[in-house]
Amino acid sequence: MNDPIADYQRRYEAFLKAVARNLQSHLEGHLAGVPHIDRIAARAKDPARFAEKARRTKEDGSPKYHRPLTEIQDQLGARVIVFYQHDVSVVADVIARYFQPIEKRELVPESEWEFGYVGRHFVLPLPRDVVPEGVDLAEVPRFFELQIKTLFQHAWSEAEHDLGYKGRTALSPDQLRRLAYTAAQAWGADRVFDELRAELHA
Amino acid sequence: MPIERVHSFLVHPAKNEAEQPNIGGTDIPRRGSLFRMLTGVFERAAEECKIDIVFRAGPGGEQQNECRHLLVAYVEHPTIPRGRLIASRLQSVSTHRSGLGLLFLMKGEADGEQRLVISRFPADQGVIAEEQAEHLSVEFVERVFMKSAKAYKSAFYSSDAPERGFWDGRAVDLQIRGPRELSDYWIREFLLSELRTTGPAGTKRLAVALRDAIHSADDLVVKHELISAANLMRGQEGRRQSARQLVQQLGLSEAATTALQESFPRADLLDEVFQFDRAEFERHAPYRAVGLDNGALLIAEDARFNEVFQQQEVGEGAGQVRYITQGRVVDEELRKTK
Repeated sequence: MNDPIADYQRRYEAFLKAVARNLQSHLEGHLAGVPHIDRIAARAKDPARFAEKARRTKEDGSPKYHRPLTEIQDQLGARVIVFYQHDVSVVADVIARYFQPIEKRELVPESEWEFGYVGRHFVLPLPRDVVPEGVDLAEVPRFFELQIKTLFQHAWSEAEHDLGYKGRTALSPDQLRRLAYTAAQAWGADRVFDELRAELHA
Repeated sequence: MPIERVHSFLVHPAKNEAEQPNIGGTDIPRRGSLFRMLTGVFERAAEECKIDIVFRAGPGGEQQNECRHLLVAYVEHPTIPRGRLIASRLQSVSTHRSGLGLLFLMKGEADGEQRLVISRFPADQGVIAEEQAEHLSVEFVERVFMKSAKAYKSAFYSSDAPERGFWDGRAVDLQIRGPRELSDYWIREFLLSELRTTGPAGTKRLAVALRDAIHSADDLVVKHELISAANLMRGQEGRRQSARQLVQQLGLSEAATTALQESFPRADLLDEVFQFDRAEFERHAPYRAVGLDNGALLIAEDARFNEVFQQQEVGEGAGQVRYITQGRVVDEELRKTK
């Protein structure tokens, strides 16, 4: 099939949703017994979002992705939401036992004055355990993205994502300032809760 | 499956040496017996390279890997200077134990994907005998390659978008005889890669499959065989091998192997290579065995051990215990233990 967007739609319906469900169970199995986990979720990228991303262009108008089915790495994504900042490292340690990352980053703003509050990010090999028997491995993404976030990081990211603005340049200075305020509030809440956890559960 | 370019480089052992020897390189013509032999290596690589590997993340956790960068650059423009950079990497990690080697870089295309096969053949010693009209000349040479064309290391990468897609590949080391020796030199040091399946992940998968197979086995002989295998597996610490290699080594019957295979999420997972992790195995161990100094051996499903055997402390100190259990005998057999 030559049209990668149509091909993705087919894969999504045929097996990617099932793979995502299995991935969620797989992660739940690895993280069973780890305290302070609010939820674990995995999803296959919505075909409409895949299509939008696959059609993106560079500044010079040339396509950003020539082979989107290979190049787009977040076709499968998972998220682990934890209560406290301390728990992010606890979960990350478990992930490090069971996966060999090709990327592992703490996503933080580039400067202390920037806004944004996003969390820990990994790109990991997709365990073949989650691919149903009979599905051709060549059609399944080889990697998936995993994010570990606190509840406040998650809440901030979701609300910020929902606002749907097209890049920071689309915001007025006052809007930027207010968004930075919400990020700082979330950051502060996380920090205080983590301090309280350390004091009360020591 | 045509090979487009083949380059070869003579790689000296020069790990930790301040002055690296010059590396001679050449373009291999696409004809003749050497090319035919290399075509065989290239074509077999997809099947032969069975060890799934992934490149390591960069030092700061970024998606960047020095070795992968060189391979991708070579695939984009397969030239001697770009190939020599890969050979230099190999030379900088080659010890005298690894010895002199001949590196081949083979770039081609198959099934719409760019394919790169990297192979290293070790140097050996040999004797050349040339028969002439009246006499025979015999000469000892120290740089014989491919005396045995089956003893080499290879790595295989394939993608329709190498710049983004060459993050995983497969490798093989045909120079080694045992799984314990799976070459750190080739995979970790040269390719800056790790096994795709971590030790704990592969071990946990095996332990859980064993537990499920034991649960679902109706045949008591198979059940006991799997329980025995679970106990023997504890001695595999640190060994790098696939579950299939492990069960073959333990001599499991066909029925027990089938029962185990059916408990894996996919049959092909039996062939994934991982490093056995005893601590992880114990964490998910399907059965617990307790031996007493009076010769008794108690075995039960780990999760139900304390329910099946009630333990009582007896006497004063000295660690004396009494285990009590009750049930209907469903099987009894004598086994030779030594």
